[in-house]
Amino acid sequence: MKRRDFIISTGVAGAGMLVPGALGALASTAAEGAPDLAIATGDDPAKTTRAAVEALGGMDLFVNKGEKVVVKPNMAWDRTPEYAANSNPAVVAEVVKMCLESGASQVLVFDRSVNDPRRCYEQSGIRAAAEAAGAKVVHIDGRRFRKVSIPGATVLKTWEFYSEVLDADALINVPIAKHHGLARLTMGMKNWMGVIGKRRSVIHQKLDAALVDISRVIRPRLTVLDAVRILTANGPQGGSLGDVKRLDTVVAGTDQVSVDSFGASLFGLKGSDLGYVREAEAAGLGTADLSALNIVRIKA
Amino acid sequence: MKSGMRSVIKSMKTKKLTLARRLSQGFFLLLFLFLFIETESKGADELGPPVRLFLDFDPLILITTLLAAHKAAVAFYLSLILIAITLVFGRVFCGWACPLGTLHNLVGLFKKHADPVLKIQWLKYLVLVFLLVSSLFTLQLVGFLDPISLLIRSLSLSVYPLFAKAISSVFDTAFEYGPAWLSAMSEPVYGALKESVLPFNEPHYRQAVFIGFLFMLVLLANLYERRFWCRHLCPLGALLGLLSRNAMVSRRVSEGCTGCGACEAVCQGAAKPHVPAAYRVEECFACNNCDDVCPEGAVFFGRRRGAAPLPIDLGRRKLVTATLAGVVAVPLLRIGPKELRPEPLLIRPPGALAEREFLRTCVRCGECMKVCITGGLQPAFLEAGAEGLWTPVLVPRIGYCEYRCTLCGQVCPTGAIERLEVDKKVRVKIGLAMVDKGRCLPWAHGIPCIVCEEVCPTPKKAVWFREESFEDRRGRIVKLKVPMVDLKLCTGCGICETLCPVPDWPAIRVTSVGESRSEDNQLLI
Repeated sequence: MKRRDFIISTGVAGAGMLVPGALGALASTAAEGAPDLAIATGDDPAKTTRAAVEALGGMDLFVNKGEKVVVKPNMAWDRTPEYAANSNPAVVAEVVKMCLESGASQVLVFDRSVNDPRRCYEQSGIRAAAEAAGAKVVHIDGRRFRKVSIPGATVLKTWEFYSEVLDADALINVPIAKHHGLARLTMGMKNWMGVIGKRRSVIHQKLDAALVDISRVIRPRLTVLDAVRILTANGPQGGSLGDVKRLDTVVAGTDQVSVDSFGASLFGLKGSDLGYVREAEAAGLGTADLSALNIVRIKA
Repeated sequence: MKSGMRSVIKSMKTKKLTLARRLSQGFFLLLFLFLFIETESKGADELGPPVRLFLDFDPLILITTLLAAHKAAVAFYLSLILIAITLVFGRVFCGWACPLGTLHNLVGLFKKHADPVLKIQWLKYLVLVFLLVSSLFTLQLVGFLDPISLLIRSLSLSVYPLFAKAISSVFDTAFEYGPAWLSAMSEPVYGALKESVLPFNEPHYRQAVFIGFLFMLVLLANLYERRFWCRHLCPLGALLGLLSRNAMVSRRVSEGCTGCGACEAVCQGAAKPHVPAAYRVEECFACNNCDDVCPEGAVFFGRRRGAAPLPIDLGRRKLVTATLAGVVAVPLLRIGPKELRPEPLLIRPPGALAEREFLRTCVRCGECMKVCITGGLQPAFLEAGAEGLWTPVLVPRIGYCEYRCTLCGQVCPTGAIERLEVDKKVRVKIGLAMVDKGRCLPWAHGIPCIVCEEVCPTPKKAVWFREESFEDRRGRIVKLKVPMVDLKLCTGCGICETLCPVPDWPAIRVTSVGESRSEDNQLLI
């Protein structure tokens, strides 16, 4: 209930900011009101993450006292952090820390990984970092998926979603920006494949539309895109340092369509090059047109 | 009065020994079970606890591996310790430490009446002769009957999966169908069990029922005669028995023995303790029951004195039969069609020796299958011929070989699976994947997919795609990414097969061709 109210209010606020936002983007630095996207760069991933979220208005805007928060990193692969196949552990940990500072009663961290979950949790470094920051890091429990009907869905009319995600007060998406053979890039929207149940491999038949349908259900309050290291080829799991590019960048925004659209620019692509971004915008789930956004850039 | 005092003191002393033995048995059984449960990944590259410790201490495995493969097991020196202990103290391993022996004791508690001793104690020596002879001629069958291998295999493939299934079924029922208050109570308990004794993933093994049935027979034999297995069948017991014949510490009976026979009923090894002249030292587990029960206090264990032990007379016919059986078994188990062609489904774990060496070395203890992180390692049925029954094969439809995991090589007690560092392991091919274009969604049906490419773990992807244009039924041109396999890069890990969205018969499959360990089973020149 509360979450829905929040989404509606931010949605209205976002619409209200569209025009000044566009002007702000032209000015390209500070703007009045909260920006749509904050792009922070810096050597220290934790500080960069904090700077991005603060530029957006601070975590207090997204997490209220006593709320149960789910922070969803990408930790799908048995790879260590330098390979940029999983979200950066320092970025994830900093988001967890900020949630707790804003009074979250609990921060859950999990992912339905592709490789063995034990190895993914350990080798990604995320379990250790997130737990040290105060999160509860749990493994997916196969019994805790719930069937959800998705109104307006074009592919996934009903599908199973992880109940902890459905029941959370606030969702925070912490994806990493990387290459993907079929989707071209995987960032915010695609990260939610890690909270759906059943044999998700079949959704690749209509991947873009399916990702849009998932985004109809999963509405994160905040998306923090880890582009400290990006994976430019052989994604989504990589394995060669030659495919990793260090950008020392963290992107934060409330609209994950905007975040993904901006993320595409890090690879020299446009948001409209990504099928799911195009379709999500057409479905009214967010804004892909970067020129319409108020984007601030910060050095951390 | 005085003698009464003495017997009280004596009985306190001996009860202490029995208590000490039981504590020791409990300790070793718990240690065994702890190491068994720890034979599971926690996500790190290494396991931590020395999980194959009991196998390392097994001198029977050392000897047959030396004979069959002409090399020593990985940590063979530990079994030298057990040999030394046996030379000094006799068959104490059987009485004080063997986890299978302790399980026999526990099952034997359900048998209330005195045992009729079947007069087939010689059988275990023939089993030993059979195993030694066959291994001398390169056939390594020890794992079928070696008690530690038998126990770990039976627990891994059958008992533990049963345990896990039973427990989780109860909690799942409470969770799914019970009222909220019930699951509020049961879920924390379930969580604690999952953290401690339950497996991370529910295990599923082929032949689990069959392997469990055989194990049940071995245990239920105690209801016919307690310690049936140890007295009549166990080849390790036979070996330790032979080593114990001149042990420095041995059972002694003083003049006070009245031949009352009280010790006969409690003797675990059926060593004929009640007739000093007929006492069989090699059958004695040094359990101390006779010492405990003797009303005269006439029995004690101490420095061996007196005459040499009675000779073992197996009979020439039996010995010749066992020897011949050991010889004949070698060609008999090798006359199947396996030699004619490489078996496509015989995908061995990474680091497995070349097939011939592998079969000489593997003791089918099941450690690798227990530890396999995806559960893909399964006991072979006939993929490796009759000789290879219950040796490990990867069944990718059940589970793939995790690219950076090296656990199977870490737990193998004999080196049948070599221990490889990660950077070496990722270069080992266990087979090759090939696309079945007749079932593949893009190739056969013009539907996008490419999951095999996504999950392919090699840094430069072995499964790659190219764009193909297809004309659909209505004459429209559809552009699609279709999977290709780079045979040079593919390691045969099988994740593509495991995760291929075609749920039953996959559209990409791994077979053993191209495996690094074979010179013949190669496709590319």
